[in-house]
This record gives sequence, structure tokens and C-alpha cells, in this order.
Amino acid sequence: MPNVGGWRFVVLGVVIAVMLVLPLVVKSSFAVDILIRVLLFSFIGSAWNLMGGYAKQLSLGHAAFFGLGAYTSTLLQIDFGISPWIGMVAGGFVALLASLPIGWLCFRLRGPYFTIATIATAQVLMLIFLKFRDFAWGAEGTTIPNLGHAPLMMQFETKAPYYYIVLGLLTIALLITARIERSRIGYYCVAIGEDEDAAEAIGVDAPSVKRQIYMISAFLTALAGTFYTQYIYFIDPQTAFNFNISIEAALVSIVGGVGTLWGPVIGTVLLETTSALLQSWLGNSIGGVQLTVYAVILMAVILWRPTGIMGYLAEVYARRRSKSLSLPAKA
Amino acid sequence: MADALVIKNLNKRFGGLHAVQDVSFTVRENETLALIGPNGAGKTTAFNLITGFYRPDTGSVSAFGREIVGLRPHDVCAFGLARTFQVAKPFGGMTVLANVMTGAFLRDRRPDAAREKAREAIDFVGLSARENAAARDLTSIDQRRLEMARALATQPRLLLLDEVMAGLNPAEIDQAVALVGKLSSRGLTIVIVEHLMRAIMAVAKHIIVLDHGQKIAEGSPKDVVENPEVIRAYLGSGYVHAPAGGTS
Ligand SMILES: Nc1ncnc2c1ncn2[C@@H]1O[C@H](COP(=O)(O)OP(=O)(O)OP(=O)(O)O)[C@@H](O)[C@H]1O
Ligand SMILES: [Mg+2]
Repeated sequence: MPNVGGWRFVVLGVVIAVMLVLPLVVKSSFAVDILIRVLLFSFIGSAWNLMGGYAKQLSLGHAAFFGLGAYTSTLLQIDFGISPWIGMVAGGFVALLASLPIGWLCFRLRGPYFTIATIATAQVLMLIFLKFRDFAWGAEGTTIPNLGHAPLMMQFETKAPYYYIVLGLLTIALLITARIERSRIGYYCVAIGEDEDAAEAIGVDAPSVKRQIYMISAFLTALAGTFYTQYIYFIDPQTAFNFNISIEAALVSIVGGVGTLWGPVIGTVLLETTSALLQSWLGNSIGGVQLTVYAVILMAVILWRPTGIMGYLAEVYARRRSKSLSLPAKA
Repeated sequence: MADALVIKNLNKRFGGLHAVQDVSFTVRENETLALIGPNGAGKTTAFNLITGFYRPDTGSVSAFGREIVGLRPHDVCAFGLARTFQVAKPFGGMTVLANVMTGAFLRDRRPDAAREKAREAIDFVGLSARENAAARDLTSIDQRRLEMARALATQPRLLLLDEVMAGLNPAEIDQAVALVGKLSSRGLTIVIVEHLMRAIMAVAKHIIVLDHGQKIAEGSPKDVVENPEVIRAYLGSGYVHAPAGGTS
């Protein structure tokens, strides 16, 4: 086993080194933009995966937290001049608090009803922000005042700094996930996802565990909202509470492998590169191609590899290992 | 000896069906009590009432001197009552070790300590060789063992076993009987639901017989098997040859 562990650190070291130098090497801003999208959705997917993957509470309403994060930091910045760095954390806490009543409502339902309820909460939030014009610019939204190069206000003139910010966010999410995976709450989440009654029977306070993991998941998702708004210098309810965010958060995790550390990252790499390639290939002429391709990939995964790419890799690895273990017995 | 579990006038209706009717009994500390009766008698329902999965319509359940009606299942478990399910409910995607660790986390949140406790419980039920297997890959018998190990890992004072021996072959039944005996000798109080009279006679000195939700007999194995009403409702005259209890 030390061998495997050793290799893992080598691979991880190489990945980290490559990720750090990538923006220095890649000069095309189109390419960096794709990298940023990949990291962003890996991050959102990882946040979603904590609840949707480990605890198997299939939320399709994470746009609610993305939007709350985006609006909190933007309101603080425009109305009070508070830095989005602070706003980002504030947004995280707003989302964390919002997850309590949302969870209180949705967790009464199970299975598809839970999922539908989460969709509804994100839609309701979008409607609220569309209707209340005085509060947050209504349907038109607003642009973020461009201050040029202002690191303290999370504004930069090149793309590379954004890349490093979202890389940092993803790293945090992965560290949190790795930590949760090994601790009691991680075991409890998986147990609840497998069989809630059996978990309760061995002392797992299922409602409380779900509440906790939902809070963490919501907090992280909100950070992505702030980042994205700062990155595109614009916010409106349609962007901030977009259903596609909820879908993609779930999709990348399901394709990559729910309830695994790297699943959302691998899923995002696959889906985003496919969609970027398609776009450069077909241009934007054919609308809806991306969604169609996503749907096809999703169906393929669900039909052939319900455990996602990570699940498939784990199977292959286990098979090879058991083969090599059984060899001496045959000799 | 003190009373571990005192059940008084327990009632549960499902619509028009009176699944548990005015049932009362007492389990003393460190005794093994068997709850028997034909299919649909209300045995599993009684377990669900005791462990907080169902709320009784009326009646009281007191464990180690404390009223536990109204507690949620995880609180009941934390209070020291662990149960198994008649249809095993393993966490299929987790390994055997992870399953049992999840139980052990109740008493110690440090993974290393939980792992150690889990290994003890796994060893106790004789599942060590399968420690790293996914629970869903176990045979149904091993899943039953896993279920016991997971319950034991919560370090209960009272263990409720719902038909853990169903489907076992005679040799496996002997193992299971020995296991229950070993648990009892460690000071655990046990309530066991089982259809197999041979196994029941081997583990329990105190038997309660339920039929149609009502307690129809209580006493030592000898009293119970000679009780005409028990023979009529459950055992039949040739019970020794019909271990699964053919009447329903
Ligand atoms: N959740 C429920 N809703 C409706 N009816 C139920 C429910 N649970 C149990 N019952 C009914 O209550 C009665 C008692 O069931 P229970 O499962 O307690 O029997 P049992 O003694 O455990 O039988 P078996 O030996 O078959 O396990 C049965 O008629 C059953 O159909
Ligand atoms: Mg039953």
C-alpha cells in the first residue's frame, strides 16, 4: 500500500504544478476562459456533491445559493462599497442561513418530491429578485462598476488572477470534501444516502446531519456566485438564479461519479471540453446542441455506468488488483 | 435484577387493523426474552414501537427506568437500545468495515477509535474475512451478521434481534445460537424474534407469545410449548417437525 500512496502524491504534485503554471503558458484568453469555467463548475459540482453525492439528496436548486451569494456581494459592493472578498464570505453565510428554511421545507419530502421542491425554491428566489426593482435592480440587473486593476475589489485586467482565485476555491472545496469523507459526518451522510431508517437505527440523527451538510454545500455554492459575478461584471436574476447552474452542478457530479472526491472535477472536464469543442466546431449557429449533447452523455452514464467515471475506474482498479492478488494462489 | 424494559398496554392500529393490542411485558436486565407468534402477529410492529420508528397510539415503553415513547429512533439508539431489521438494511455501497464504523461513531467520533471498535464487533460476529467487501456483495446470511455487528458497534445495553436466524442452515443456526449466548454472557439484555423453536429454546428462558396483536401466553419454554392456546394458534401439534410455524 505505501507504493500506491506514494504514487498518489506524485500524481497530485504533478497536477498541482501543471495547474499553477497553466495560465503562464496558455496565452489565448479564450482557452483561459474555458479553464476558468472548468474550475468554476468543478467547484460548484464539488459543493453540490457533498449533499447530492455523499448524502444522495438530489437537489436541483443550488442556483438559489449561487444567486444569493452573487447578490449579497454585489449589493454590499454597490450600496456600501464593501469589497467582494468580504462580500463573498458574507454571501456564503447568507446562503448558509437560507439553507435552513429551505431545508426545513424540502427535507419533509423524499425522492423526486424533494428534488422538485428544491427547483421551486430557486425559482421563487429568482421571481423575488425579478419583482422587487427597488431592492436589487429588478429584471434589468446591473453591471459591476469597472475599477480597472483593483485586486482588493476582486477586479483584474487579465484573466489569470481569476483563474487562480477559482483554483483556490476548488482546492478549498476538495480539501473540505476529503476531510468530510474521512470523518463521522461523511460516514453519516453516505449512510443516510444508502438507507435513512438503518442510519437512524444506529444513532444517526438524519435530519440534523442533512441540515449540516446542506449548510456547507450552500455556503460553498454561494462563493461561486460572487466569483462569477465579479468575473463577468454583470448580475441579473436570470443569470444568478439560472436553472442551468443547478443542472450542471448535478450533472458534472453524476457523470464524474457522485460521492467521490474527484468525480465532479472529472465530470466537468469531460462535459466542458465536449461543449467547448462543439462550440468552436459548430459555432453558436445551432442553439441547443450543447444541451442535447449533455443529455446524451447523461443518458449514457445512467444506462451503462450509474456510478460515473470514478465508479468505473474503481471497478477496473479493483479487478486488476484482485487478479494480481490471486496469481500466487494459482502458482 | 432490575427491569431493562417495561412495556405497558401498548396499542397500535393501522387503519382498521389492530396490529398490537394492549400488550404488556417486562424484560429483566441481562435476560434473553423471545417474542414469538405466527406471521402478522405484531412482533416487528412491537419492535418498531419500542425503537421509535412508530409511535404507539397508547401505552408506555420504559427502558432502564426512563420513558422512551416519543424519542426518535436515533435517540432510542443513543439511549442504549439497538435493533436489527427483519429484512437486512446494509449500507450497500459501503464496505463492511465502513458500515460498522458508522455504528461505532455513535460512542466515539474519532475515526481511529471507531475503526477499532468496529473491528471488534466484526470479529465478534465472525465477519473479519469480509471486512473490505462491499456490503451489497455479501450473502444474505453475512448481511444478517453485518446487521448485528453494526448494532453491536453502537454499544447497546439492550439488543432487539428480528429474525436474524431466518434462512440459516442447521450449522449456521448453531453458530448464531452460540453468538446470542455469548452476547448474553457479556451482560447484554436481548429480545429476540424468531420462528425456530429449537433456537428459541436454546437461547431464551422467558417467552412471550403474540397472536393477532395480543399476548396469548408468557412463561418458560416448557410452559409455553405446553400451553393449549399456543399450540392452537401457533405451534400446531407437531411443532417440532414444522419449525417455521406453518399457521398464519
Ligand atoms: N406500516 C404498516 N402499515 C400497515 N399495516 C402494517 C404496517 N406494518 C405492519 N402492518 C400490519 O400489521 C400486522 C403485524 O405485522 P408485523 O410485521 O408486526 O408482524 P410480524 O409478527 O412481525 O410477522 P412476521 O412473522 O411475518 O414478520 C400485519 O398484518 C401487517 O400487515
Ligand atoms: Mg416481523
